[in-house]
Amino acid sequence: MHGKVLVIDHEKCTGCRQCEMVCSVFHTGASNPSRSRIRVIKWEAIGLYLPLSCQNCEEPFCTEVCPAKACHREAENQRVVIDKKKCIGCKTCIMACPFGHPFFDSSERVTVKCDYCDGDPQCVAFCQARAIVYVDADRIPGPKRKEAALRLITSMRPPL
Amino acid sequence: MATGPYRKRVGCVNVIVSPEGLAVKKIEKISQPQKVWGWEIAVYLFLAGMGAGAYSVGVILGWTWNLSVLVKIFHVNFDVAKGILYGGPLLVAIGAPFLIVDLGIKERFLYACLNPRTSWVARGFLILSTFIILGLIVFGTSLLFPGVDLRGSPFWTLLEAITLLLAVSTALYTGILLKSVRYVPIWNTLWLPVLFLASALSTGSTAIVLAMMACGLAFPEAQELLVRAHQVASLERILILMEGVILAFYLYTTYRKKEEGEVSVRLLFMGKLRWLFWGGIVFLGFLFPFVLELLSTWQPDQLILLLVTGISLLLGGFFLRWAILASGVKAKHPLHKFLELRATLGPSIPKGRGDLTR
Repeated sequence: MHGKVLVIDHEKCTGCRQCEMVCSVFHTGASNPSRSRIRVIKWEAIGLYLPLSCQNCEEPFCTEVCPAKACHREAENQRVVIDKKKCIGCKTCIMACPFGHPFFDSSERVTVKCDYCDGDPQCVAFCQARAIVYVDADRIPGPKRKEAALRLITSMRPPL
Repeated sequence: MATGPYRKRVGCVNVIVSPEGLAVKKIEKISQPQKVWGWEIAVYLFLAGMGAGAYSVGVILGWTWNLSVLVKIFHVNFDVAKGILYGGPLLVAIGAPFLIVDLGIKERFLYACLNPRTSWVARGFLILSTFIILGLIVFGTSLLFPGVDLRGSPFWTLLEAITLLLAVSTALYTGILLKSVRYVPIWNTLWLPVLFLASALSTGSTAIVLAMMACGLAFPEAQELLVRAHQVASLERILILMEGVILAFYLYTTYRKKEEGEVSVRLLFMGKLRWLFWGGIVFLGFLFPFVLELLSTWQPDQLILLLVTGISLLLGGFFLRWAILASGVKAKHPLHKFLELRATLGPSIPKGRGDLTR
């Protein structure tokens, strides 16, 4: 994979939702988390928080299903973005994304997604816990990915 | 015997249960029906399916019967029999704007055909548009020019065959549109287009029965249509039976498929959509019409029975689309699952050291 991606460490996330706030201010001028391009899923009862953002997939399904070619990968920096001038608001990309990412902006009547703030993601800049970082996709080391996979396998085993 | 807290599914919710049997912690959110695509899409799927099914059944009946019933309205002759048999595209044309109503920016609806290479929405736009245009030509010609006998003309036969193919494609497309969403297990199955095709044929034939009855009652010269309506109703019974069997297979395979498929079926059987499923699909779509059909075989003169059966079947067809659309629960991505499992099983799962980018 090419280009830079947002990498989220859910274990560092404190659930403060500052990322949602700064994202909405940057993109819409309003302090309204419901219009943010990043969303934090919360399990308050057990203290778990999972910020979800665009994964910049290698083979993005959202670009495949978009009937208007509004959702596309930029040739220049390999980012998957939505062209708001072409989007018809059919919400097909919302249904298609396995990460639940693109969101329907009911004010603008189009689907919006993370555009990495033109290369300077505000969620990264303002995250005090440093739970979100913006790095080259190739720099995510293999052993760490393996570790995550091993944790998942362990979790699938029935408890003793 | 369990000595500590254990995990238990209660309805659509997973909870941790104490040894005394008390639910102590809710660990998964209650599965909610999807709300991205709402009732407008359900109406669109229903009308497009019903129209395509009515046209498919109508063309085949037209080839078999060569039915022609002339009715004079305002000194103009109309062939109402052909108008009913070829009237499906009208229903599709009524349904298509509902898709536009659902769009965020409605005036950009023409952009929806720009990516037919990979998008099923764009392909559907082209299939439906072509079907509506060609189908309305067939419908208008058959209804308005009863004196012109086009049967046997190669051009007309070709036009009918092409529109029939497009009608079947439209009926299948309503299912394929949902099937193409690969991360929703209840939609991403081959059974769905088959189910929607069966439902399109059954609701389409029901629409023909109702239209024939309405015309037969409204115009004394169209009494023959009442007899024909009973003949179509007997075909309709077979189609409904077929639809019921396919629905049962569809739900069974979805339930066995994936965790989220099971969640979707539970949502239909005992979750928030249970009224839609048991009341709308099972009762209105199958049980109630079945009883009325039985009664109507003993009392064939009671047209009201056939009328209520038809309306009930159409409602059932609509609720089928709505329920399946609403029950589309997305498959969770691995990290989401991992977090839920870790929360469930507690300390038995090792905690990671955190930063993946170090």
